[in-house]
Amino acid sequence: MTFKRLIGLDNMSAKYRYASDPKFGYMAESKIPDSWVKTTCGYCSVGCGMHIGVKDGCAVSVRGDESHPVNLGKLCPKGLSEHQFLNSPNRATTPILNGQAIGWDAAIDTLVTRFQAVQAQYGPASLGVLSTGQLVTEEFYTLGKLVQLGFKTNNYDGNTTLCMSSAVAGYKRSFGSDGPPGAFADMEVSDVVILIGANIADNHPILCRHLEKNKTKTLIVVDPRITKTAMLADIHLPIKPRGDIALLNGILHILIAENLVNREYIAAHTTGFDAVEAAAAAYTPAHVSDLTGLSTQQLHRVARLFGTARAPMIAWTMGVNHSTQGTETVNAICNLHLAIGKVGVPGASPMSITGQCNAMGTRETGFSSSLPGYRKFESQVDREALARLWNIDAQEIPTKRGHAYPDIIEAILRKEIRALWIIGTNPLVSFPNYDVLTQALGNLDFLVVQDGFHPTPTSAIAHLVLPAAIWGEKEGTYTNSERRVSKVNRAVAAPGLALSDFDIFLKIADSLGVKDKLFPNWVGPIDAFNEWRRVSEGRLCDYSQITYDLLEQQGPTQWPNGSPRLYADGHFSTDSGKATFHAIEAKPFPEQPTREYPFVLNTGRTVEHWHTRTKTGEVPILESLSPRAWLEMNPLDAKRLKLDPHDHVDIISRRGRVTGVDLRVTGIIAPGQVFLPFHWFEFNANQITQSAYDPFSREPNYKQCAVRVERTAL
Amino acid sequence: MALPLLASPAEGEQYRFHFDMSVCIGCKCCEVACNEQNDNPAEIRWRRVGELEGGDFPFTKRFHLSMGCNHCVDAACLHGCPVDAYTKSPTNGLVLHNADACIGCQYCVWNCPYGVPQYNEERGVVGKCDMCVGRLEEGRQPACAAACPEGAIQIEVVNIAEWKQVFAHQANAPGMPNADDTISTTRITLPKDAPALTGGNSNFVRRESAHWPLVAFLVLSQLSVGGMFFGQGWLAYVLGMLGLSASLLHLGRPIYAYRALKMWRRSWLSREVLFFTLFAGAALVSHQLAAAIGLAGVYASARIYMVPARPSWNSLRTLISFLATTALLGLALAGHPAAVWVALITVASEVERALWLRNSTEFELHQSGRLLRTELQGLLALRIILLFGVFLPYALIPLAISEIIGRYLFFSSVVPRNMAATFSAGAA
Repeated sequence: MTFKRLIGLDNMSAKYRYASDPKFGYMAESKIPDSWVKTTCGYCSVGCGMHIGVKDGCAVSVRGDESHPVNLGKLCPKGLSEHQFLNSPNRATTPILNGQAIGWDAAIDTLVTRFQAVQAQYGPASLGVLSTGQLVTEEFYTLGKLVQLGFKTNNYDGNTTLCMSSAVAGYKRSFGSDGPPGAFADMEVSDVVILIGANIADNHPILCRHLEKNKTKTLIVVDPRITKTAMLADIHLPIKPRGDIALLNGILHILIAENLVNREYIAAHTTGFDAVEAAAAAYTPAHVSDLTGLSTQQLHRVARLFGTARAPMIAWTMGVNHSTQGTETVNAICNLHLAIGKVGVPGASPMSITGQCNAMGTRETGFSSSLPGYRKFESQVDREALARLWNIDAQEIPTKRGHAYPDIIEAILRKEIRALWIIGTNPLVSFPNYDVLTQALGNLDFLVVQDGFHPTPTSAIAHLVLPAAIWGEKEGTYTNSERRVSKVNRAVAAPGLALSDFDIFLKIADSLGVKDKLFPNWVGPIDAFNEWRRVSEGRLCDYSQITYDLLEQQGPTQWPNGSPRLYADGHFSTDSGKATFHAIEAKPFPEQPTREYPFVLNTGRTVEHWHTRTKTGEVPILESLSPRAWLEMNPLDAKRLKLDPHDHVDIISRRGRVTGVDLRVTGIIAPGQVFLPFHWFEFNANQITQSAYDPFSREPNYKQCAVRVERTAL
Repeated sequence: MALPLLASPAEGEQYRFHFDMSVCIGCKCCEVACNEQNDNPAEIRWRRVGELEGGDFPFTKRFHLSMGCNHCVDAACLHGCPVDAYTKSPTNGLVLHNADACIGCQYCVWNCPYGVPQYNEERGVVGKCDMCVGRLEEGRQPACAAACPEGAIQIEVVNIAEWKQVFAHQANAPGMPNADDTISTTRITLPKDAPALTGGNSNFVRRESAHWPLVAFLVLSQLSVGGMFFGQGWLAYVLGMLGLSASLLHLGRPIYAYRALKMWRRSWLSREVLFFTLFAGAALVSHQLAAAIGLAGVYASARIYMVPARPSWNSLRTLISFLATTALLGLALAGHPAAVWVALITVASEVERALWLRNSTEFELHQSGRLLRTELQGLLALRIILLFGVFLPYALIPLAISEIIGRYLFFSSVVPRNMAATFSAGAA
């Protein structure tokens, strides 16, 4: 503090001056940039358009893009302050090897040498790669080729397996391919919107705008907790945890019983309905009422609303996906849409709402759970087509996917995988069952973490840290939940020595000696994009008509070829062209409460934070709004345990303990259940979550496990 | 520039906020947009969102309350300001604060029942929501309204005379202090069929700032006036001047302390400054005259704190306690045996005060009592024990320490009226 400020001559009025920005008007002068750079938000997969304000090479502000069709100028609180983390002191600025800053040449050389040494000794598959949903599409495309064709390991997966893989697997099983059929605009024209396990008011607030525009809809929210979204509902179904399959089967039962299914559509466009019809017979309203805790009246009301609606839609997020039956739940949702013959028509599609800005990009271009362009590892035709496009021998393309994320961790535990490259993700906070994970990572001969931030809990234990540019510092495209491709632009330079992931991949390819073969004459992301356009041509996710110029000039567009929806003609991506019904059995979730662990733990998010807080934890206003984790408990349970609001409690499962969490006594959670947000390493929900995975998608069951709650010892 | 979005207020009209609780989803975009608009530190939030909850599972309802400044018809911040830093705009009715006039005394912070003016440590002055008047003049929405994804915040023009007739039904909401005190102009649309709602953080109270310079000023100035009264003129004078100097440390901008005299016709803070300035001068002429003026100063001091927005201060007990301090320390300084009686009366009044708080049904009073029974209990006990030091030689020392603790408790145990907070606001 200066002397003039101390005595009060100076009241810092120069710093707190206001002026008028030519584009966005009157605001704090310190926030007025020299120029505004148009881009797309880097948090969730709603994919809002925005402008970054740049002053003297520094990002000073952010404003929503009024011309972007998704958000029309609005942003959520994370988006509204998104530029702030760019200037965080926690940014990774130099490659670091065993705690020592090194140069890029040494870093790349070390990475390649160490990976090759491990692969030489233990085989190509002893290298694992864990990526993210937050790179640009161009980088995902490049990384896939580098890993599979350069390093020749197929043990490559992303953190998308922790959030969207059940939707992917579900779409593949029901419709023959990944690819969400609907559009956000469906929320505006649907007459019955059912949200299952989707708390969009906290997690995708801008989608609430689309719902709000629709004044005549009936909104039904299925959630065991009375979330902010449940409070918006016309009908909230406070279902028992994992009651969703029973509910969906029960609705189908009533649709069949009341002749509300579309037999013509079923006959023309689907297979497998007979088995589903037979299986649904067991899900009588009385039985479903037992399994879900809902009344038979509620079941009939919702089933009839859905069955008689002009254009009903079911949308979901993690309440469905974070489950050992996530994929099957998605199939049960698709079953309902197929049964009434409404997929891909305005207002009526099953709709997965995605969590990361470009999870869709990695699903389409990535080379982990499928081949680029939704091609199948198992298909010789697909492999040969790709080999031709890439001018390589088809033998080089693996015939099956490698380990999925949890199986990579298991393989590390068994010491089959000896080296791991983690890119843009933070498993020490995000992966279930922390003790098992840390034991696994401790087995590694070599761990590389490539991230925009350092230290993160994960980068802190890496042998080699590679500093990456992040959103705001690089160019490319993101694809949102409704298949809308938006341009992402570089507003400011990355700090220190940090490079874009694209540049890092090319450097590695060069050092590995595969650059000319895999990425001939590539200089920038546009080279990857143009190759991807050729590779995707004729596929469901066809980007061939999309160019950077088009995106800049005409704004974002949906694939394929600007189509808002898929499958409206009833022709699906299966070999037969028919969608597939799957009979789904409702099973209890794996870890039921006991006397010793009497509560069912539910995990989730809050509007102020995103994922593991590597970004939002660096934004002071968001940290100030939501500084700590909390545990929600029903007043009846709190009274029984003699606990008061703001008491500090420990949550204990068979696997571990989270300590010192603020108790929130609230009626929004049912007796017998507790809720803990998962954003904090300091209160790490994954110290108590379990290693239980969906057999199809390998997605973890984050949503239910058995815990007890104790007052924290002083 | 004309406003394309809404009509400018005519004579007898003003701008106001409308908040629609039934559509707010609690996303806090308004808070973040406000922070960005004004580039305030993260802890200073000119717009805040609170939580309300009621009913039992599965019929529980939670609503959110978003509030900037209510641009009151009868603004308490403005009335108390000793330097006339506040104006109620004659053209649009907005309650505007001038950071250059402000001396950082924070009296407005105590006066506002909504916690709207907030002290900015970095600047040494207070700041508050001005409805983004600069944006309004450009025909733009305020940052909060422009950012709201749900359209829950709007700007309207209201006729003040009509509003005075109906505000009791339209300005009040669960989680909001009663609009009667200041005639808040914010119109609130409540959700239909809501159960009885309470604040999301209703059992949590945070200790308020101790304001150490004011603790020193109050104890020393009252000791000085009492000493002067009981014939200890020059020693009392020196201690009094020490107290006056300490009070400067409270100000964000001490160099402009003299400005505090300005609003003596309206502000008890100005009057306090005036009386103690006169006290300092008069003591050079006549100690009896100084004592009389000093008593007026002690009275003004007490009146500063007797404001509706701070319920545990807003009681005759404040005046009685300030006068008791004056008498007790004055008598003790003079070595007068009557100090014993005042000490015993002080003990009795502390007990009475504790009972009053405990038995109160008013939220803020009850919570003040809870603070004194829980985390502040030890200090309160110490204060009472030290009062029995009146029987010891050098009684002034234990008594002065007791009074310092007393003033510390006075400041730190007050629970201000405010809007309902969020649960996280209490996280620590």
